[in-house]
Amino acid sequence: MKRTTKTPLAWKNLTHDWRRFVVAIAGISFAVLLMFTQVGFQNALFDSQVKIIDDMEGDIFIVSKAKYTLAAEKRFSISRIHQARSCSGVRGAYPIYSELTTSVLRKIDRGTGNRGYPLRSLGFHLNDPVFQSPAIKQQLQRLRAPGTALIDVKSKAKKFDFDMQQAEKLSKYHVELAGKRLTLVGTFDLGTDFAHDGNLITSAENFANYFPHRKRMGDPLSVVDLGIIHLLPGFSAAEVKQRLHNTLDKDVVVHTRDEFRAAEIKFWEKSTPIGTIFLAGKIIGFIVGMVICYQVIYSDIADHMAEFATLKAMGYTTGYFIRLIIIESLLLSLIGFVPGTLVSRALYAWLAGKTGLQMLMSFECLAFVLTATIAMCIVSGMLAVRKLLAADPATLF
Amino acid sequence: MDSQTTIPATSGTFAEGMHLPKTVSVAGLDHFFGEGELRKQALYNNTLDVRRGEIVIMTGPSGSGKTTLLTLIGTLRCVQAGSLKVLGNELLGSDRDLIVRLRRELGFIFQAHNLFESLTAFQNVNMAAELAGIDPKIAARRIKSLLTRLGLAERIHYKPKSLSGGQKQRVAIARGLVHKPRLILADEPTAALDEKSGREVVTLFQELARDEGCTIIMVTHDNRILDVADRIVNMVDGHIKSDVAVQETSVICEFLKGFPLFADLTPNTLAEVADQMMVHEADEGQEVIRQGDAGDLFYLIRDGSVNVLVDDGEKRKKIAELKAGQFFGEAALITDEPRNATITAQEKSVFYVLGKNDFRRVLETSASFEEELRQALFNRQ
Repeated sequence: MKRTTKTPLAWKNLTHDWRRFVVAIAGISFAVLLMFTQVGFQNALFDSQVKIIDDMEGDIFIVSKAKYTLAAEKRFSISRIHQARSCSGVRGAYPIYSELTTSVLRKIDRGTGNRGYPLRSLGFHLNDPVFQSPAIKQQLQRLRAPGTALIDVKSKAKKFDFDMQQAEKLSKYHVELAGKRLTLVGTFDLGTDFAHDGNLITSAENFANYFPHRKRMGDPLSVVDLGIIHLLPGFSAAEVKQRLHNTLDKDVVVHTRDEFRAAEIKFWEKSTPIGTIFLAGKIIGFIVGMVICYQVIYSDIADHMAEFATLKAMGYTTGYFIRLIIIESLLLSLIGFVPGTLVSRALYAWLAGKTGLQMLMSFECLAFVLTATIAMCIVSGMLAVRKLLAADPATLF
Repeated sequence: MDSQTTIPATSGTFAEGMHLPKTVSVAGLDHFFGEGELRKQALYNNTLDVRRGEIVIMTGPSGSGKTTLLTLIGTLRCVQAGSLKVLGNELLGSDRDLIVRLRRELGFIFQAHNLFESLTAFQNVNMAAELAGIDPKIAARRIKSLLTRLGLAERIHYKPKSLSGGQKQRVAIARGLVHKPRLILADEPTAALDEKSGREVVTLFQELARDEGCTIIMVTHDNRILDVADRIVNMVDGHIKSDVAVQETSVICEFLKGFPLFADLTPNTLAEVADQMMVHEADEGQEVIRQGDAGDLFYLIRDGSVNVLVDDGEKRKKIAELKAGQFFGEAALITDEPRNATITAQEKSVFYVLGKNDFRRVLETSASFEEELRQALFNRQ
């Protein structure tokens, strides 16, 4: 094909009036920015929901069948953990205990009690390798003492007003958890989400002490919120998962790490208005971009009706004009995408620093916004091309 | 029996080039605008043939339908009724593919230049060359030579913004010519041009017509370029009022001038006489006039030759031979007597004939020559 040598009419027409071109590109970039913001926020919020999964060590997770989200306080019997340990391919199975509604943290100032706020308390056996966080691993010794806990530095400062910078100062605070005296011996970093305004970590023993009523009768540690399985080398997660699924009683569900993460995100996306709200945001960005792109292409066509009609008289076909407008649309979308992405990146960095949310421009995120940008420009180009096809060369003489 | 036709002598049907193929053939063409109550007829039963290499100028007041006819020929409107053939293709009921293919054989020059502001003069012209699939190197050379020819050598890579109105029009003309179209349709191509560049453009047209066999139809009111026309078509109210081959008319006028009775006529009147003449054909040996018949026609021999035979009661005697450019049949018209001789064609011949009434009227006009002169002088003021 010798098409490469053809006069680049689409490009020339777009860039001829550079002021208009800059405005057009700015408009498309703005739409790109809008979409990136929506996608970014959504991903950041979903990532925050599953941050605890990402921060845990382990290959397979076991939860109660009734537990539709991490925040739901549905538990299963410790015997499932014991059963799992006997399964081939399992190196270890460890329970995690979690408490939210009764886990009220209250700061006492000079003998007066402030209002307490619930936060998530997590309990684990200190020898179990369940948390990846080096901060937690380093502070295991401190947790061995009775009535001690680590607090999440990202806990909402408005509700949990502690000076997190200095561990010595932290231990001086007079604090009560579920009505019992607690000493904050250090911090770790997990982050908040929709359901949890803060986090505490304690040893399983301390946990049992603070929440003795988890089970009406018997050992509070006999009901587990989350089971974590480590695999022996050489076993695949899918294989062991299947085996566990067959072995364990049917009151629990077994997930691989990816499945567990996906199921949690799916809950927030589908079962809460969050997904819809961000979808609406993305659609608005898309429509704004479409209107801008339509305006740019339409006015280019309207300003050159006589010229296009002349091309028609010369024998240029409908196919040529449709190709021309598709190329214009593609150019607009691609050129608009670049500055839009750069500005979005800067915005992500700023927001991440400001809110503590995880704003990451993943490949999927880039691909999604690029596809949406191209689609929006081509759709509006095809809407505008009708005007061009109506150009009548008979009016030229 | 002779065969009298209704073809006007000035149509050029029997002039040089009659053997050339018809580039455009219009027959019984009607055209309407609007729908229902508002439907208005723009063209009435138009008939016109344009042959290869002809330059046709269309004139007429605005609204006379000449532009409509031009857009129909240019495939820019759909033919509604009648027949219209362009480069041998019938346009009535034609499909889109044919239209697109035909358009690429045509060269359009519009009154407005319609150049893309975003493209240089070269690129604008190249839009036409690319469509024709001309090799880029050849196209580049041709574009440069065309623009140079049109006085734009220095401005080949300028954008329309930095060109004057006339220069833009010349770029548009180059765009209409670069792909060597077989038929050029132009609307006031020289209106925006000064005398010199207007002349250059029509000279270019003439070269294309002569060297490439390109046919040119243009609508113009620019009487500076009337001299290039092979044919002048005058339209009034949707009718083709006259369709005159300029060259042929001038030949007829030259012949008529040689006729003593018409010697005093002005060129204007001679052209009018020529306009009233009809074509008349005869085969070899055919009798054109028989002695003793009532005379009603005056003959001018356009082509061929005839014998003049007189029957003296006993036998026919050939008394003369007449050749192209000579006349016969006038005596019976002047004297109102029967034909005094028989005329037979020596070979296949073509005559231009004038009816008795028209002939007499011309003679009367001739008498008022002085009168006409006075009129002409008076109108000059």
